[in-house]
Amino acid sequence: MSLSTHNLSVGYHDHVIVKQVNLNIPEGKIIALLGPNGCGKSTLLKSLARILKPMSGEVRWQDNNLHTLPANFLAKNLALLPQTQPIPEGISVRDLVAYGRSPYTGFWGRLNAEDKRIIQQVMQETEIIKLADQWVSELSGGQRQRVWLAMTLAQDTPYLLLDEPTTYMDLSHQVELMHLLRKLNLQGKTIITVLHDINQAARYCDHLIVMKQGQIITQGSPESVLTKAMLKDVFALDAQIYQDPIAKTPMCVVE
Amino acid sequence: MKSFLQKLPFLGQCIALSFLLCVFAWLSLFTWSIIPISGTQALSALTSPNPNNIAHRIILDLRLPRVLIAGTVGACLAVAGAIMQGLTRNPLASPSVLGVNAGAALGMATVSTVAPWLGVFGTSVAAIIGGAITWSLVMILGTAWRGGNEHGRLVLAGVAISALCAALTKAMIMLYEDQAVGVMTWLAGSVADARWSDWQPLWPMALFGLSAAFLVGPTLNLLNLGEDSARSLGVKLGLVRMICSVLVLILVGAALSAAGAIAFVGLLVPHIARALTGQDYRKILPLTAIMGATLVVLADVVSRAIIFPMETPAGAIIALIGAPFFIYMVRSKTS
Repeated sequence: MSLSTHNLSVGYHDHVIVKQVNLNIPEGKIIALLGPNGCGKSTLLKSLARILKPMSGEVRWQDNNLHTLPANFLAKNLALLPQTQPIPEGISVRDLVAYGRSPYTGFWGRLNAEDKRIIQQVMQETEIIKLADQWVSELSGGQRQRVWLAMTLAQDTPYLLLDEPTTYMDLSHQVELMHLLRKLNLQGKTIITVLHDINQAARYCDHLIVMKQGQIITQGSPESVLTKAMLKDVFALDAQIYQDPIAKTPMCVVE
Repeated sequence: MKSFLQKLPFLGQCIALSFLLCVFAWLSLFTWSIIPISGTQALSALTSPNPNNIAHRIILDLRLPRVLIAGTVGACLAVAGAIMQGLTRNPLASPSVLGVNAGAALGMATVSTVAPWLGVFGTSVAAIIGGAITWSLVMILGTAWRGGNEHGRLVLAGVAISALCAALTKAMIMLYEDQAVGVMTWLAGSVADARWSDWQPLWPMALFGLSAAFLVGPTLNLLNLGEDSARSLGVKLGLVRMICSVLVLILVGAALSAAGAIAFVGLLVPHIARALTGQDYRKILPLTAIMGATLVVLADVVSRAIIFPMETPAGAIIALIGAPFFIYMVRSKTS
């Protein structure tokens, strides 16, 4: 296992949000972090991305404590798309995506042919090539989200950590995003994403991790995780589980 | 002219603005002198100085250090403002708004009233220490060290600390009246009394501060993406904050001990640079340096012209231009 947590507790100030979590991230899969608001899924994701330091316990990259590894090494292995981003003024889409290459470009940020090829490629994958010369501040919320995703992809890391990437996107772009994630996964990336839509997670992800009050309640394949009992326990919802007629994955319908 | 400059490539902008700077500097060498000096004399004083020529003596002993100090001080303050804006991602950040000027002024006033025997070096160090204390206080109160993103809070902290320092500085002047005139002139910000002796401590600090500042440009670009993204891209936030703060203090300390508390340069100039070149700090920082120098040299020429042969402090001229710009900026940010 490349990425794992050991008795990990994380929080802000004195407030513990993630409590004593032991987790092995299965390699080469699309993993969804699910749970009600405030359950600690974003906090867990941020500490996997080394943004938040543990209060106790540790996050390990292979056998090393993640927080002791060099920043530039990690920047080439773990890329995070935060839940909210600033709206920078005076930056074009292409320039923003290019910042994703900064772990590779050396000090002054000069792009070589390989960097430019990757920037072009991720802009095509996220369908923002037509927006390349526009200002980021002029885009719609959904377009901007795709630009930030492209920047994260330009980092070209084996691990991709996404915090509610579908926020602000319309339904068709949400579906496209999930297809893109699968495509990236088939190229060998491990993807960990916080999602709100349980059915979306069950349909497009391989491994679901369900959290409640800072702890992991259950994890595994969508079929094993998505049960009436889990929905009742974690989300306080009475729901029926059916099989998605197209994808043959489980889906829930709230009573 | 602005749109003409905007269309130029970056190098062209640098050359055009440097040319403008040279023209103002040249004007500054010979205009508004009680003993008439011609433009050609200003040039010949530089190329073939003649110690028996009174015009040459005025230029070399008085005007040249003055214009060099004005330009260097302008560049230092403007670049310090650009770094502070980049570091805090706050468009209102600058040495004057975030209390660094006021803190440095207090340090300076304390030393020049209580311990005047410490001399120029002592007051420079006092300015840096005073600035460092207020800058850290403002950043702590404004929660900017912990990744807080409360722009209003940071500015409020700066205004409050500035007011406190100003009150203490005034008290200091009243208690030690014999030093009051010097401190008051200094507080207004002026290069009128600039001599070669002020240039000696200024240029090494400015040279170091400015060249190091240009090197943090790429990192400021990444900070602009937000703290989480910057960290994810491998930026060591704590280290960057430390380096940037030290640079700001060196630049502000150097500038203030040479020319006093010239406000608004650090606030104004980075925004003009951004309007010319966009949000890339690798370009903003050099442009800011050139334009900061240009602005203060120009303000110094104007300060001599207004009620010739009396002198108005250059700081007052800049505040006269800066204050309306500041109001305009606050309005356009809130709407």
